[in-house]
Amino acid sequence: MQLAINALLAASLYALVAMGLTIILGVLDIADFAQGALYMLGAFTAFYATTLLGLNFFLALPLGFVVGGAIGVANYLAVYRPLRRASGATTFIAALGLLLILQNLALWIFGADFKLVPSPFGKARFSLLGASMGSYQVFLIAAVAVVVLATWAFLQRTRLGKALRAVSQNRNGALMIGVDALRVEVTAFAVAGGLAGLGGALASAVNAFDPSVAALVVIKAFAIVIFGGMGSVPGALLGAVIVGVMETATAGLVNTQYAELTAFVLMVIVLLVRPRGLLGSPETKL
Amino acid sequence: MIRSPATDPAGARARTARWRNTLLIAGGAVLAMVLPYVFTGLAARSLLILTAINVILVVSLDLLIGLTGLLSLGHAAFWGVGAYASALTAMRLGFPFPLALLAAIAAGALAGAIVGAPALRLRGHHFSVVTFIIGIIVTILMTNLVGLTRGPMGLPGIPFASLHLFGWSHTFMTIVYKVGFYHLTLFFVALALLLRWRIAASRLGRALKAIKADEDLARAIGIQTFRVKLTVFCVSAAVAGAAGSLYAHYTAFISPDSFTFVESFDLFVMNLVGGAGTALGPIIGPAFLTSVGTALRSVSPVLAEIIYGALLIVSITLLPTGIVGGTTALARRWRRRR
Repeated sequence: MQLAINALLAASLYALVAMGLTIILGVLDIADFAQGALYMLGAFTAFYATTLLGLNFFLALPLGFVVGGAIGVANYLAVYRPLRRASGATTFIAALGLLLILQNLALWIFGADFKLVPSPFGKARFSLLGASMGSYQVFLIAAVAVVVLATWAFLQRTRLGKALRAVSQNRNGALMIGVDALRVEVTAFAVAGGLAGLGGALASAVNAFDPSVAALVVIKAFAIVIFGGMGSVPGALLGAVIVGVMETATAGLVNTQYAELTAFVLMVIVLLVRPRGLLGSPETKL
Repeated sequence: MIRSPATDPAGARARTARWRNTLLIAGGAVLAMVLPYVFTGLAARSLLILTAINVILVVSLDLLIGLTGLLSLGHAAFWGVGAYASALTAMRLGFPFPLALLAAIAAGALAGAIVGAPALRLRGHHFSVVTFIIGIIVTILMTNLVGLTRGPMGLPGIPFASLHLFGWSHTFMTIVYKVGFYHLTLFFVALALLLRWRIAASRLGRALKAIKADEDLARAIGIQTFRVKLTVFCVSAAVAGAAGSLYAHYTAFISPDSFTFVESFDLFVMNLVGGAGTALGPIIGPAFLTSVGTALRSVSPVLAEIIYGALLIVSITLLPTGIVGGTTALARRWRRRR
């Protein structure tokens, strides 16, 4: 049970970024590594909102979503939209450039010290079926589950969400029946960036972070996306859970350093056996 | 049809062009060789050596990017594998420099096969993403295999390169006197350029160009695309491994920090800014950016990375063919106008 909770916690930390990456991959076929920077900025937002502004932590969470979403949209309008006729590789390189710029700007402004937001529940613990865990950890898992469900509902039920899926399935067809591409793409970046920012804000009270977390998180999240199947939201979530489980198991059985490699090893194996990823198929779209 | 040299203007023009190219290459080689006598400071000579190593790396990277259209973003990993292979065989097994260099080349090629097998199954930017991630895995391995690599502490005290040929022997004491090592590196630059030229002109090179133009079509006309791509990937990684060996025996100290994804990124930018797939691009890009990069980093390392990122975005948006490609296009336009 303890192991399962830890695994879920690890999975939750990556799930939101992985889902955001998947949405952008699905709608625009961009490998947006700058999402990692949004995660990092979300974490810094939570840190400064609670320390400098004295905001309640739970108010800082939506703020993380807003900051992530806003910068995500800004990235899109400033860099990706002008490059929309360029190849996927070009946009990927631009994304890495953005990641490099944002990460080093953060390093410049915020410094390289590790920061950790104090847990809003203090040291309160919670026991369930013989396992003991921090109350905040439980809250985090629950919050991620709710956000995942909300995003799922948004994609499946709302008009805008359906437009997103339509564009990802058949871009020209969607444009022909009058879907506004700009609106859909801005939404995709707002949602994905928001998820990354929120993920960072949520994680800021669990893991100490510094600007370099941007690259680390997005790399692992991307390995999960490739593992789960590029462009498939259920694949990204399943990938996050499997990686979470394997990572926790490796940390328990071998050591924590090799646990860091789990996601990458799984990615390489899946590429050798099934290059599309677990749930990926040519038709799989959002 | 036999072309008579006197009456065939195209042949005559080709011959003058060949003469001009030979002269240019010879002039460039001489210029490169005298540079350390012009810039005699230790820092300047060190910069020259690092630039030459970067040229080797970018030439090997250009085999993938310029020739085949494979945008690999994990190239520093092979450089690092070569550096570690050379340093470890020299230090632990007492290999002399030429053998250690061969070990580095072999290790580079092997790493290329291991990375290429999964990564080359994907195309386009998915391939770039995977090479990028695998490059990071390699740094994680270098950091964590403490028993072999001493982890983040790095490997100090790598022996200097020394050559023994028929009784003549020379040790490249790189700390004090750098010119000898620079010329050694330059020799490998020439080899790398020759290799790229020969590959481009070969059957393999034509297959690579076909893959760059249209992979499905290349496959349809009977090119075994996966095998061809894996071959060039291994060759490129082997050359990067050789550059790693030179680097290790030059700096005498290596650590995982030298081969991170930021280095892969820098190499990529050098290739892109110089002009991928052009003859001179892989020389001009590193020559320009190594000096600018070193100058910037001495001011502020953080600022240097920010400017690198911005340079990358600007160069792919405004100048997709790099400095060389851009100037060629400009020159052509200017000539046409005349």
